[in-house]
Amino acid sequence: MEQQQEHIDSLLERYLSLLDEYTRLRQDLSKLQSSVYQNIARANFAGERGMRYGQDYYDERMRATRVLRIDEAGGDEAVPRFMVRNLMASSSGAADDEEGAKEVEKSESTPERGDAKGTTTAQSNSGTTPETNQTAEGRNQDGEEQEKEKPEMKKTSSDPLRWYGLLAPLPLRTAQTLSIQAVEQVIPRLASVNAEMEHVEIEIRRARKKRAKAAAVADKEALGMEAVEAR
Amino acid sequence: MSSQADYKDREFLAVIGDEDSVTGLLLAGIGHITTGAEAKKNFLVVDNKTETAAIESAFDSFTERKDIGIVLINQHIADRIRHRVDSYTAAFPTVLEIPSKDHPYDPEKDSVLRRVRRLFGE
Repeated sequence: MEQQQEHIDSLLERYLSLLDEYTRLRQDLSKLQSSVYQNIARANFAGERGMRYGQDYYDERMRATRVLRIDEAGGDEAVPRFMVRNLMASSSGAADDEEGAKEVEKSESTPERGDAKGTTTAQSNSGTTPETNQTAEGRNQDGEEQEKEKPEMKKTSSDPLRWYGLLAPLPLRTAQTLSIQAVEQVIPRLASVNAEMEHVEIEIRRARKKRAKAAAVADKEALGMEAVEAR
Repeated sequence: MSSQADYKDREFLAVIGDEDSVTGLLLAGIGHITTGAEAKKNFLVVDNKTETAAIESAFDSFTERKDIGIVLINQHIADRIRHRVDSYTAAFPTVLEIPSKDHPYDPEKDSVLRRVRRLFGE
């Protein structure tokens, strides 16, 4: 009995800490969203010729750049964990890093090879090597430029701010930053805490039922003992 | 009971809200319109003229889609289809009610807090 009570107490403790986190996340979300609305209102107020930053300018070919990833929290299938990841960061940012690393490798390794070639070929034939080196460098530079251009083009075309022109007003940019914070940090955590709370609720109900059954059995046993004693 | 297959393809957040709520969230990059003959949006802008049936139909469509993991809905709009929102019990997608510009969040209507009350009121 005592063990069961302890189990219920520990579940309730976990539940209350989740409830505390849920309440805090709700407050954070309310604050962030009211700041988003204020900033959109500011942008609309300052908009030229009554321009309204709203649905009239949505891109009809928009693609999500922030998407969900749902997995199991702590390997428990019943408790999903929500996360939001930025596709632009993974496709261009990470790619940038990788390309950057490759470029560094290239730039570090090519001169050595060039030098080695240069010295060996210089001994045999000095006329041909500088040309081949130049063309190889030229190709390398072209490649680097292309690699640099690609992610930038991707970034500019998929940023929702671009729906409102190249120079989106500062309040709209601030609204975007705040909204990203809500979408990346608060909303997925709220969904995860909600799912975990649901799971703990089920466990608490189960534990309470078990305790009630055990109590009923104990009562019966006590009654039985009393009856025996009375005889 | 949910299994991994239930949620591995759910990568979008959907939103039903007033214009500023939807614009704010789309600015964060969650908006998605599918290609093909039947372009499906993952958002609905609701104004005074939007009929309740249209909100209901968007809610049903978002909650039936297999590529949506979270449905965000302004609390005052959820009030217009309260019976639908309250009777929705599936694990996926998760429905989260959010505040709007003109309607601050009312914890009395919060589904989680109502569950908490039920748990402790038993």
